[in-house]
Amino acid sequence: MNFVDLLMLGFSEALTPTNLGFCLLGALLGTLIGVLPGIGPTATIAVLLPITFYLPPLAGLIMLAGIYYGAQYGGSTTAILVNLPGEASSVVTAVDGYKMAQKGRAGSALAVAALGSFFAGTVATFGIAIAGPTLSSFALSFGPAEYVSLMLFGLLAATILARGPVLKAIGMILLGLLLGMVGIDASSGEERLTFGAVELFDGIDFVVIAIGLFGFAEIIENLENVEARGVLVSKLSRLWPTREDFRRAWPAVLRGSGVGTLLGVLPGGGATLASFCAYSVEKKVSKRPLEFGEGAVEGVAGPEAANNAGAQSSFIPLLTLGIPSNNMMAMMLSAFIIHGITPGPTVLATQPEIFWGLVASMWIGNLMLVVINLPLIGIWVKLLTVPYRLLYPAILLFCCVGVYSINNRIFDVALAAGFGLLGYAFRKAKCEPGPLLLGFVLGPLLETNIRRALTISHGNPSVFVERPISLVLLIATAGVLLLMILPSFRRTREQAFQEEEA
Amino acid sequence: MAGPSKLGRKGDRPDLLTAALFVGFGALGLWAGRDLTLGTASAMGPGYLPRIVCWLLIIIGVVIGGFGAIHAREDISKPKLWPLVIILAAVVGFAFIAEFFGFVAASVWLLLVGSIADRESRLREVILLTAGLTAFGALVFIVGLGVQMPIWPF
Repeated sequence: MNFVDLLMLGFSEALTPTNLGFCLLGALLGTLIGVLPGIGPTATIAVLLPITFYLPPLAGLIMLAGIYYGAQYGGSTTAILVNLPGEASSVVTAVDGYKMAQKGRAGSALAVAALGSFFAGTVATFGIAIAGPTLSSFALSFGPAEYVSLMLFGLLAATILARGPVLKAIGMILLGLLLGMVGIDASSGEERLTFGAVELFDGIDFVVIAIGLFGFAEIIENLENVEARGVLVSKLSRLWPTREDFRRAWPAVLRGSGVGTLLGVLPGGGATLASFCAYSVEKKVSKRPLEFGEGAVEGVAGPEAANNAGAQSSFIPLLTLGIPSNNMMAMMLSAFIIHGITPGPTVLATQPEIFWGLVASMWIGNLMLVVINLPLIGIWVKLLTVPYRLLYPAILLFCCVGVYSINNRIFDVALAAGFGLLGYAFRKAKCEPGPLLLGFVLGPLLETNIRRALTISHGNPSVFVERPISLVLLIATAGVLLLMILPSFRRTREQAFQEEEA
Repeated sequence: MAGPSKLGRKGDRPDLLTAALFVGFGALGLWAGRDLTLGTASAMGPGYLPRIVCWLLIIIGVVIGGFGAIHAREDISKPKLWPLVIILAAVVGFAFIAEFFGFVAASVWLLLVGSIADRESRLREVILLTAGLTAFGALVFIVGLGVQMPIWPF
């Protein structure tokens, strides 16, 4: 089948009433949690994962994907209107977006954000459609050694690009790997690290960890911090941007789409990194850098385009190689596995309707989001006035029921509470929990492939350097490690992340 | 957050806590996996990779702790025990009550106890919210989605 046929296949799958419905549901839910601070897409998807059991595979995946990119749209709404980014990827949008709102131009900022996101989403969706098949056929030649090197590269690069100290992130990955080893060892049948608990023989469930670390720990932390809610500064002005806004925004949107699509593909990339980079790019190329921070429309257009493009294109490594590049994609990977699909090069060949259906649905979902976010903006603004004390009990209940429903046992709920405590300790220790999730998901895959590669080579580790693709990946990994040690790179990285704190 | 403060005092507390967590988990993993077959590189036993991972974790923990000890002092943001204890108690309580008394009792416990974690909660709101969410949860999750949990204790 050629490209057009495949896209048609995708649209015919995505346009069935069921799939359209779940696409809309995902987009709505995503917007909702993007608007509401206090629960992120990771926790939401963790809660909903068990529920997707009951859905057809494609419908479930479409909904979860919708939540992810929908949250990018919703996050920008609150960032602009009340200076409260509902989502990490909207932090920079708050800088100039909120200033625009204070100057009475909230409508323009919202419209630029939504239209820029839509355009970027379209670009990234095409990026997936074009890159997917190429990368997949390339990945089909991968043996266990190549996969091991690829995963090492991915895990390491992810820590470099993630925020926070690199050593801590590597430690978190190792901890995730260790947690992934709990249970019955597949090849020998020996139980390991279970402390004799029968409930742990099947391993710890991904949802338990995710809800503990992201759901419960987030609620506890939010309750610790006294609620600081912004107030809507002004009435919503007219939504349509001025011609001047358009003229200044569209090059920024173009650049943001490019930056976002590229960075989303990198391990550890995704929406947050993309938006920060796009902001600094805009500041650098602008002829009026002093306007940034004072309500420059480029400061909204670039990052908003980039975070949406990044959110979409981070699906590329997952769909083509089966390797998640950030914790959201780790969630998606478990969603695939729940439905008995192992994402990776073979999916494209054997189940093209899943890949192309998902890709097409992303474009449709982006279109829906423009409608959800612009004309219906008033509804979301109203939601902002719901206080946290009314929100978190509901989140708490959903988390508990979500965890329980994976295996229908209370043990998981108690275990998730334990991970909540652990997640709280990590926050106090300033450790980002994201890499742990990545290590946990990739652990079993990494272990199987290491064992396979070394069994084939009779224990000779040179197998990893004798195969050319594997060697290139290892050299890249070494390069990344080297970068980390170089003081000048470390300084730049620290600066980049400091800008975000400011 | 406390920045580097008070000249001459050393010890980055978040880093030291990280070190303790990493070394602790590494040691726990080594201890829990002490009886596992190691095997060889070509025929790995179940204990081979866990042991490597644990040792790496311990090494990283020690390095972070070492640097943390000589860095300028930085304090851990003061933990507030109230929300932590209440939320965990609410969740663990939910688990045990659900086992013996069904969803409604567990949900009421979770929401009532969970609500006192936020001192801004108001009694009337909490009662209405608990009633509404419990009914919603029972209908949507148990009846609608077929989550395997009894609604009532009997």
